[in-house]
Amino acid sequence: MSVKIEASEGGMPHDKMLGIGVVGALVCLYIVYLNSLMSTDVFAFFGGLAAVIALWWGTDSIKTLCSYGLGTGVPSAGMISLGSGVIAFLFATKLAGISPLLVPLGCIIIAAIIGAILGFISDKVLNMNIPVMTRMIAELTIVGSLTMLGFTAMISGSFIFTDLIAGSVSFLGMVVTSYAASVIGGCILATIFMLGAIAIQHPFNACLGPNESWDRTQMCALECGFLSMLVVAVMSVAFLSLFAVVISFVISIILWGWSYSEYIKLSKRDAYAWLDSKPIREVGGE
Amino acid sequence: MSALGGGSSGGEGINPTASLIALVIVLVAVAVVFLVYPAATVPLIGVIIGGVLISFGVHFVPVGGAPAAMGQAPGIATGVAMLAAGGGLAGLFGGAWAAEFGIAISLAAGAIGGGLLMAITCLMVNVVYVYAMGIPAASGKVDKDPITGDTFPAYKSQGTEGHGLPFISYVGGVLGGLFGGMGGTLIYYELLQVYEEALPSVIGASTEGLTTLAVSLAGIFAVGMFLVAAVLTAYNITGTIEGPHDPKFKRWPRAVIGSSAASAVCGLFAILLVVI
Amino acid sequence: MEEILFGIGISALAGALATVAGAAEDTESDIGSQGDPNSQVQLAPQMGYVHRIYNKAVSGEPPAYGLWVALAAGVAWALMAIQFNAILALVIGSAVAVFVQGVYATTAYLGRTASLAKFEQPVYIDILKSVTSVTMAHAFVAIFATVTMCFLMIEALGHPFPLPLMGIVWGIALGAAGSATGNPFYGKERQYQKYPFGAGLPISASGDIVRYAEAGQRSSIDNGWFTSKGAGPASGICFGLIVFFELWRTILFEPFAAGWGAVIAGVVLIIVFMVIDRYVETWARKTYGPYTEEAAPEEEAAA
Repeated sequence: MSVKIEASEGGMPHDKMLGIGVVGALVCLYIVYLNSLMSTDVFAFFGGLAAVIALWWGTDSIKTLCSYGLGTGVPSAGMISLGSGVIAFLFATKLAGISPLLVPLGCIIIAAIIGAILGFISDKVLNMNIPVMTRMIAELTIVGSLTMLGFTAMISGSFIFTDLIAGSVSFLGMVVTSYAASVIGGCILATIFMLGAIAIQHPFNACLGPNESWDRTQMCALECGFLSMLVVAVMSVAFLSLFAVVISFVISIILWGWSYSEYIKLSKRDAYAWLDSKPIREVGGE
Repeated sequence: MSALGGGSSGGEGINPTASLIALVIVLVAVAVVFLVYPAATVPLIGVIIGGVLISFGVHFVPVGGAPAAMGQAPGIATGVAMLAAGGGLAGLFGGAWAAEFGIAISLAAGAIGGGLLMAITCLMVNVVYVYAMGIPAASGKVDKDPITGDTFPAYKSQGTEGHGLPFISYVGGVLGGLFGGMGGTLIYYELLQVYEEALPSVIGASTEGLTTLAVSLAGIFAVGMFLVAAVLTAYNITGTIEGPHDPKFKRWPRAVIGSSAASAVCGLFAILLVVI
Repeated sequence: MEEILFGIGISALAGALATVAGAAEDTESDIGSQGDPNSQVQLAPQMGYVHRIYNKAVSGEPPAYGLWVALAAGVAWALMAIQFNAILALVIGSAVAVFVQGVYATTAYLGRTASLAKFEQPVYIDILKSVTSVTMAHAFVAIFATVTMCFLMIEALGHPFPLPLMGIVWGIALGAAGSATGNPFYGKERQYQKYPFGAGLPISASGDIVRYAEAGQRSSIDNGWFTSKGAGPASGICFGLIVFFELWRTILFEPFAAGWGAVIAGVVLIIVFMVIDRYVETWARKTYGPYTEEAAPEEEAAA
């Protein structure tokens, strides 16, 4: 027995969300680049904000795609999004060898190419015949790669490949450079990968049902994003100065607390009843 | 996997134009690598074969989705992409461990790792069905087990489509684990060769931790590509399949074509990483 | 010789940790109604059965545990990179992961239940307060055991993967083993306890889950009490066997035949498990017998 998937009408048009998502994420990522220009790492948290904006937009893409019924769960769409996104993201960080400013924009373009091909394969080769499939898988790949890029920038303060592979270990008071202690060498990417893969699918998966509403689902997306930012801030102790970590952590926890309480308020608004320690209320007054 | 099931049934048959375009994509990817970085041509072909193996293997894994959890349908009660990922990644663990012994042993170790996970999991599924729930195995799609000749209609309880894992599904699960583990390991192994060869010249002379770097890059790419191929295949079989005897199994050619194109594109970018 | 004995010891320890992890993982997911049985918790109010069962729809168990374990591993890795004690780092990593798990659980319950307003299913916030902490406690056991096992594989057995990558691999495997083994027992035996034992659930009965207990109303915490006697240990044995035999065959037999020894041992193990499975299957057919007379070849069993 399956549950019918019903997506809410209304809310912001998807194209507008796409615009906000792309522009917002790009602006935040370029602000992270100020770290390199000003030799500091306090701007790292803007990477997390970029990821949250991308996730906020990706939630609506997943909703549009999954309202067609894929035969398999919503989570798999999150896995394919990040699975292809990680490839576009790692390739894009290497573009820094040409110009560091190319990385965020290149990330979007490469992800769009990979995603469009994957979408074409699932729509036409696998005969899914879902009209929005090619576009939505392409969007999801972009979201996945931007999420990876944003959280990676937040954890290390940079999105340049040569920075991501260089780590330092202090051993008996001496600082030694080691590739094994870097973002890529330690494969901290695996953690970011799963954080993104769950955060992108959770809002729609958690809120689906006949009374799903746009603003509640989107608030859940923000909540998931800020929660991921919070743990990314914890992990950034390995790479950033203590001052930058504290700034990231405080900003994340304030935003998460705000979004979580807003989400509870919206759930209270939408719920049929909000009961504490009450028995089962039989439908039809049995 | 979650509360969702059913939905689009997925069209039958192969779309010839689209399949042709997919094959062209594969050829273009191989040609680009051949022109830009000839040494990586064979690894890219290995990556494509790895993707094909994963996609073919997922078709064998008997997954019943949500109805299987209530004994309403045969198969394992979880999501097909993720069960295959569990088997395939356990295979990747074994294959990566044996990578120092060369490609043949690495692939065999990866295949066995995936097959062993599926063999134990499928056994425990049947143990729970039989000893904890008192339900014998019965297939819903066929009346007779193609391997053992057991008949099923009388062993199907009232109002269900069958339950448990008949022997054919068990064999399918093990085969799926073998193919998945081998495919994941092949992608990992080929990319590891490329990175171990190319990274020293890309980065510079120092080699401290370079092996870990190559392992991490190859590992995360292998996980990503595995999930892409597994999810595409899950879309192809619309989430549930009973095993090699299921009519849906006949859809494998288009998943193989699709996955070869997908892994060619992903592999292309993974290899170009060291060129730029 | 000493090296092999050390390796076997580590394999046994890793297998034991995996057993604990598997049992805790399945009990946790059953208390929260995660995975496939969740579909029935979601369906029941639509069929008119309002209930007080937790609805933890955080994707399937494999991706969810992939995140929890990879997250614990990632935080532990980061803390070890700034010279934290390894054990302390693993504990803090697991605690952070459990915090994230708890938050995801509450948003899933609130989201799914609020979206069922049309069917008059209220949000019971006392469930949120009492059950969430119980699932978090079980999840902590599962996550800590798994991430410790991953750490042992790297530090003691010399596997090349870094800790977070190891976490993603074994986290997904843990979820796959636990959900495959545990879901049917919770889904059929517990959710539909009032239906006859020894048969699958008729499709027409879907949604009619048990909502009342011996006295009062069924609480999700009691689902853990029930499944920890069947599905939990079975999942633990499943994951424990997987981890133990995977390590055991590699450590003991890899030196033979230039590495082929481990492969041959694996093939033998697979065949042994296949034979056991065939025995279990035929035992069930012989002992329980068919549901209907087998005489008619074109039996119409489906409703």
